Amino acid sequence: MFEGLRSRLQKITGSLEDRIEQTIPAEPSVEKTGVPGGAAPAEAAEKDPSLLSRVKVLITDREFFISEKDVEEPLFELQMVLLENDVALPVADEIIRRVREDLTGKRRKIGEPLHEIVTAALRNALMSVLGDGFDLVSYIRNHERPVRILFTGVNGTGKTTTVAKVAAYLKKQGFSVVIGAGDTFRAGALEQIDVHADRLGIKVIQHQQGADPSAVLFDAVSYAKAHRIDAVLADTAGRFHNRANLMNQLEKIRRVMNPDLIVYVDEAVAGNDAVIRAHEFDRTVGADAVILTKADMDSRGGAAISIAHTIGKPVMFLGTGQGYDDIVPFSPARVVEELLGVSA
Amino acid sequence: MLDRLGTSLKDAVKKLAGKTVVDRAAVEELVRDLQRALIQADVNVRLVMQLSEAIKKRALEEQPPKGMTVREHVLRIVYQELVRLVGSAGEVKLEPQVILMAGLQGSGKTTTTAKLARYFQRKGLRVAVICADTFRPGAFDQLNTLCSRIHVPCFGNPGEKDALKIVREGLKSLSSAEVIIIDTQGRHALESDLIREIIDIQAIASAQHRWLVIDAALGQQAAEQARKFHEAISIDGVIITKMDGTAKGGGALSAVAETRSGIVFIGSGETIDDLERFDPDGFISRLLGMGDLKALVEKAEETLAAAEVDVNAMLRGKFSLRDMYNQLEAVTRMGPLKQIMSMLPLGNMEIPEDAYDITSTKMQRYRIIMDSMTAAEMDDPSVIGSSRIQRIARGAGASPEEVRELLRYYKMMKRALKGVRGGQGRFNMQRMLKKFGGGT
Repeated sequence: MFEGLRSRLQKITGSLEDRIEQTIPAEPSVEKTGVPGGAAPAEAAEKDPSLLSRVKVLITDREFFISEKDVEEPLFELQMVLLENDVALPVADEIIRRVREDLTGKRRKIGEPLHEIVTAALRNALMSVLGDGFDLVSYIRNHERPVRILFTGVNGTGKTTTVAKVAAYLKKQGFSVVIGAGDTFRAGALEQIDVHADRLGIKVIQHQQGADPSAVLFDAVSYAKAHRIDAVLADTAGRFHNRANLMNQLEKIRRVMNPDLIVYVDEAVAGNDAVIRAHEFDRTVGADAVILTKADMDSRGGAAISIAHTIGKPVMFLGTGQGYDDIVPFSPARVVEELLGVSA
Repeated sequence: MLDRLGTSLKDAVKKLAGKTVVDRAAVEELVRDLQRALIQADVNVRLVMQLSEAIKKRALEEQPPKGMTVREHVLRIVYQELVRLVGSAGEVKLEPQVILMAGLQGSGKTTTTAKLARYFQRKGLRVAVICADTFRPGAFDQLNTLCSRIHVPCFGNPGEKDALKIVREGLKSLSSAEVIIIDTQGRHALESDLIREIIDIQAIASAQHRWLVIDAALGQQAAEQARKFHEAISIDGVIITKMDGTAKGGGALSAVAETRSGIVFIGSGETIDDLERFDPDGFISRLLGMGDLKALVEKAEETLAAAEVDVNAMLRGKFSLRDMYNQLEAVTRMGPLKQIMSMLPLGNMEIPEDAYDITSTKMQRYRIIMDSMTAAEMDDPSVIGSSRIQRIARGAGASPEEVRELLRYYKMMKRALKGVRGGQGRFNMQRMLKKFGGGT
């Protein structure tokens, strides 16, 4: 996944290295010119105190500085790459700031390979933005059952499909699961979840269309308690974060079913708005983890980076296709390694 | 809606105020703000770079015409370039036709199909739809439920796995309909077998229109996806959905650029009537923070009897409680207040955020309170003193504080509308654009 971003990022690390490398050629010549042409560098050094100190450092410590100017251009390129890959603008700014801080003013020992410095700076920035992953299986193992999981998100991000996928995933891991059909608004939603559950052999608790979702989900939790079921997956209708009454309804659902985990579902192809809505959902009803759907549509990973950074919540799964098995646990370390191609 | 983008653009434009010569630094700053604003609206990064280069070049090279200030000159260039970016509206003819819907999963094809059926039905055409989504469970039930509410025939068969067969049979059995809309399964550019399928569907249906449905929140992916769909079935129109959220729909502009088509409709709500014709000038005006009176009036004409909301009287400043009552009543049909307000030509006037922060339940309360007022009070709210407030509150079963809150809200709205009408001493966008003779 994220091939597009990966190849671009690797190109950028290369270009950063080149820029920094360019500052080096001065170094051997300075050492060499010690006797024959010593006048020229000395003159330059007098004009430019920073150069003087640089040369000094060079000679004394055999180290040198990476200045802000050296990395300016590649960093602009890096920003463009991030933006083109749907990293939201404020988040891209933040990543650039971190890389710049990390790189500039750094004294570099001559023996130290450039590749490592640059990759480390990028890796640090990405890791601090992506946060830790979330292991649902061990969470359920270590938690009182039934574990109540509420799925939220805006319209059309794939909540219902994701609920079915997570149900299939948990079932495969040996847990018993029940689904609460909390989307009582959209036409066809009940039929949709029915078919999924039928195929997966999972019980669905539902009322008729237009029913109060809180009541449906309350029943689902009661059913799970009575039947000693491990996990309740609560589907909800998609809603926009700027609709106060729909958000109040979600708030009521939360009060009534009292979920252990609130999972915010969004699509990996969303652009800058991903940040705004993730923030609003987190602010109004909270979010403990994020699932990104439709990650197969693209090879960019911008939304993951943006959302994780904005609400500071771990990404739990990636949805990667239309089949029930198309869901993979998200591991930030692995994704970053993959993006930067460290193993290569 | 598009207000956030509008605000940052307005800020950028403000910085040009008072300059007498086009100064490079100011233009560069404007262009940089413009870039950031457009990128945050998900406009394709390459398109943004092209646009900003063009603006910079023209702003620095072209001399402002006589009598036009530097700000007007630069703004005019920005406006013209934005018009070029947005493109013109895709054509919608009211005649017998077959329309094929295409798009990514979850972009809102099925909902939009029903909305389109409603649109053509209202224009007096016999409409029918075909559900060719054989993959997603419940897809047929969804479309069938939506269509039966508006009495539009819906052809489909949830048991059939062959979409091509459904389309073939559907076209045959619905041959008496004038407009046939084919809803398809969501697919994306990398699913080559599904792309193949939609090519085959088009071969059977030979639809006059192939419309691509784009989620307003879609980011930089839009360009690539649109290109693939365009290669497959030659897209001739784009529909932006979910514009009632906070997404700005910039991704759709990349789709327009890729397909060299135009935006035909904008979906902005969950009910079947929440579909507007796309109006490029209006779209840009919203981008620039200038409202679009035309779209509002058009919509008002369609959904309301003329007497219900007199927009022109409102803009002349004759805004009484009665108008507000009618407005609140109309709101359920016209969409959220913010949406309506964003269509009013408010120029560079700021409406306090809390003016929008009124939920539908609150509106209900306001209407009940106003029901307890006399006709005289409705026409001239200034007569309402504290004893009248007491009476109204008792009559409506509300607290006096709620009545006062309503009056405060009324005053805020009135002030806001006054600003619209006046524009004295202020920068009047409406007048200015007129001077340009339509901008383009």
